[in-house]
Amino acid sequence: MPEQVLGRRLGGLTLATVGSALLLLVLALVTYATVASVLAGLRRDRRLMRSAGNAVMAAFVCTVSAVVLLEIALVRHDFSIAVVLQHTSRTLPTPYLLTSLWASQPGSLLLWLTVLTGASSLVTLQNRHKNRELMPWVTAVLGGCMVFFASMATIISSPFERTAGVVPHDGFGLDPSLQNPYMAAHPPALYLGYVSFAVPFAFAMAALITRRTDARWLASVRRWTLFAWASLGVGMLLGAHWAYVEIGWGGYWGWDPVENAALMPWLAGTAYLHSVMVQEKRGMLKVWNVVLVTATFALSIFGTFLTRSGVVDSIHSFVQSPVGPALLVFLSIVLAFATTLLVWRLPLLRSDHKLESVVSREATFLFNNLLLLAFAFVILWGVVFPLLSEAVRGVRSTVSVPYYNFFLVAFGLPLLALTGIGPLIAWRRATPGSLWRTFRWPVISAAAGGALLALLGLGSSWPGLTAFSLCIFVTVTIGLEFARGASARRAIAGGSWPRALVDLVSRNRRRYGGYVVHLAVVLLVVGIAASGAYGSVNQAVLKPGQSMQVGGYTLTYTGMRSTTGPNYVDTAARLVVSRGGSTQGTLYPAVRDFTDHTVKTQSNEVDIRHDLRGVDVYTILQGADPSRNEVVIKALVNPMVSLIWLAGLVFVLGAAITIWPDPREARQLARRYSTALAKEA
Amino acid sequence: MSTAIEAAVVAVIVATVVVAVAWPFLSPERGAPEQALSPRDRNRLELMERRDAAYAGLRDLEQDHRTGKVGDEDYQSERRRLRAEAAGALRGLDTLDSEPDTSSPEE
Repeated sequence: MPEQVLGRRLGGLTLATVGSALLLLVLALVTYATVASVLAGLRRDRRLMRSAGNAVMAAFVCTVSAVVLLEIALVRHDFSIAVVLQHTSRTLPTPYLLTSLWASQPGSLLLWLTVLTGASSLVTLQNRHKNRELMPWVTAVLGGCMVFFASMATIISSPFERTAGVVPHDGFGLDPSLQNPYMAAHPPALYLGYVSFAVPFAFAMAALITRRTDARWLASVRRWTLFAWASLGVGMLLGAHWAYVEIGWGGYWGWDPVENAALMPWLAGTAYLHSVMVQEKRGMLKVWNVVLVTATFALSIFGTFLTRSGVVDSIHSFVQSPVGPALLVFLSIVLAFATTLLVWRLPLLRSDHKLESVVSREATFLFNNLLLLAFAFVILWGVVFPLLSEAVRGVRSTVSVPYYNFFLVAFGLPLLALTGIGPLIAWRRATPGSLWRTFRWPVISAAAGGALLALLGLGSSWPGLTAFSLCIFVTVTIGLEFARGASARRAIAGGSWPRALVDLVSRNRRRYGGYVVHLAVVLLVVGIAASGAYGSVNQAVLKPGQSMQVGGYTLTYTGMRSTTGPNYVDTAARLVVSRGGSTQGTLYPAVRDFTDHTVKTQSNEVDIRHDLRGVDVYTILQGADPSRNEVVIKALVNPMVSLIWLAGLVFVLGAAITIWPDPREARQLARRYSTALAKEA
Repeated sequence: MSTAIEAAVVAVIVATVVVAVAWPFLSPERGAPEQALSPRDRNRLELMERRDAAYAGLRDLEQDHRTGKVGDEDYQSERRRLRAEAAGALRGLDTLDSEPDTSSPEE
């Protein structure tokens, strides 16, 4: 029996039916979990709460089973299932068959549901014996979100929908830009971020419902918030790297609405991570923190709406699919629910203290919050304005890159300065004397470094030069923090400097992990500033033997070559790269023709040479005319882009230090201070 | 044939899930089914939270003082305040532990 017929009659039919049944079961389970947890909260019934928790975990198991079934259908080329037909082909390599799960809208929503039920199950397990008052309402809020996404996956956009009519022998193939290893990790990382922000939101709502508006809910969600924020950050960097190596325009960030969709909640989440410290230390900004948690989650939903509704392409494609309107309704419910609760509990959210001075750490965090939120709003306006203009006037206006770059400089540079000021300035108030003691070396270093860089010829871009000077300022503040901290540690416990550093970080993971993240920000800014302000670009039509110049490099075209892959044929130009007369290597920018698509489908395959000095020579084959024996080559020299990817690794390290739990911390603190207090008494 | 297999697989999954969800009602439960915190428990949690916040505040204050971010005068006054906060919470916890529990869960 031929494979395809076997798949349809036995495997295909069974997979689709069982998969659909599993998703219906998930919908029933999460609906039960939501109702049961509300009743458990009202009646304070522990058994009912445990039953609701079991339903959440059962829903997760069923969702994962549905994902496994869909993966089996993808790998077995079961074209009787519509998403398999529309997004794969028989010659598509197996790794891309697996990752094509999130190439389709139904698959993406299934991924959302999987991560959400997984996060909710983990929260249930983590809090079996904790947060007894909060948990019924946390589960109810998470349950409401799960009901929405389970409804989408069963009613509106099912991943197990059957192919209409006769099942073709082969599929339509996967979008070429998605056939890249980074696409295996980029969407899941983004979804981990988007979805995990539901957990702090659910705890905030539960705290308002139960009137437990003290700092306990903040402590319960600290790691979840950091995890969501770090995942979103990693997801964006993976996406930037994918754009750099796959899209083929020479850059890594184009202020595309889909990129902005992830950046907005990340900015709001960054603001929250800073303002939460003010509430913990000083009992201030309680309303603001609830607003930020709500805004972060709402922007995550909005990001999903942007990427999944089709509204980015056209307002008309948005109204053609029910997914977009459904997400908008869900977003409205989330905002209305949170606003009502917040207004209802406003009297409980008064600050314990007032701002004593604008020269203090809490004031610095407040300024940082305002800048981050203002930047998020600017991006939101840039995304929404074209949609509004199309809806109102029927003409789609565009918000171009200079708009975003202007505000990136306007808000980014002060934010960078605050990254250095925040960790060093004292809580409550700072005196002129302490400011001078604390900041003299960072300021002197930044001024001297800036002057030196200007002398070296980097003064052609004042934002670039300012960014570099501020990076020196922040790096010196971080270095001083580690040096002073390690010195203090040695004064107490003795030992070597490395030992003191390790002790310092392991005893204050949140603080020093945060500083490592700040260091990642410095690397990121240097990479962005250098590649953005000091890069070169050139385009030329070349015949064999002819050369072009770009940024001090010579590229000589020596001919074409052709290679064949499993589902494509590459036609590449051979470019010999030299600098100062010495040959440095060969680049092969190509045009890829896909053989598994019914319509002619091509993609640009750029080739990049990474220099030891941190310079990328980036080449794109813009066109080839075999009849005239000519190629059109676009070449860019991008300095220090590799620092952006290094920043990603440092960011992950810092986030891991901050998130890593330390069960000894509470015991150590109790031992240290209870003994000291007992002695004094 | 395939329909029968499908029906059997779905039936087994549904039965397993129903048992898992109903298990808390089927298994013998230790203690009362209510999950409310008594006023005493609530008070204890609040005191522990105050104590832990004061401890963490003291640790950070000492670190800031050693690294020169907080002057001597501010350090002494803030240290006194945090120590008084921690001592008050510890006294409250001691008092709670020495008293018999006569409270009932809140409604």
